[in-house]
Amino acid sequence: MITQLSGHTLLVFVGIPALVIAVVALLVFASSIADGPRYRPGLSWWAPPVWINGPETTKPDPANLPELPAGPSTTATAGTGVARTTGGASASW
Amino acid sequence: MPAGDAFTPEQLYDIERAVRHAEEASGLKFSVYVGGADSETRPFALELLNELPDPDHTVLVYVDPAGRRLEIVTGSAARRQLSDTSAGLAALAMQTSFATGDLTGGLVTGVQQLGQHAHQPTLLHANEPHQQ
Repeated sequence: MITQLSGHTLLVFVGIPALVIAVVALLVFASSIADGPRYRPGLSWWAPPVWINGPETTKPDPANLPELPAGPSTTATAGTGVARTTGGASASW
Repeated sequence: MPAGDAFTPEQLYDIERAVRHAEEASGLKFSVYVGGADSETRPFALELLNELPDPDHTVLVYVDPAGRRLEIVTGSAARRQLSDTSAGLAALAMQTSFATGDLTGGLVTGVQQLGQHAHQPTLLHANEPHQQ
């Protein structure tokens, strides 16, 4: 019986199902491939820093930022260009 | 999207538009930073705020996707318009979106909410002389 498995038989019973599976898989993953990598909480972050409406619209290197003067974490000393008493909120997820 | 960028151009446009609307509604400056911190997030966010031209009138939204931390920092003048309670409500809205992996949606919603909370209605006839 095995000798009767012709190329046509393989095409019908292997080739076509494989093609259908490939098309369905492509349709499923097409949107995520087009969107690129997506943020997934808990996994590592891959992208460089983005600062929207920052100073001169630059993307600073965190290592080159100036040191804050010593003081409580919620306040900064008064001075030109330095925020005095600050407020806000924090959250984590 | 170029490999490695956090946002697509369309997503960046959405965030920038939300920032612009919030600034128009409130009169404050808004800034959004997305990236990792090499120290504690709150002091790092304060450093970022002090890098800006007018930190007293600025609201900075700092998001650390890797550390899963969010900081909203208001300058001294901005704090008078945007209370810590209002900032906390916006942080809660952002936190919900970030937890599902939607960074853009969270930022847009949060910045919009901050702008609405900081909105100050214009005083009609404030500069006109009082008439009996």
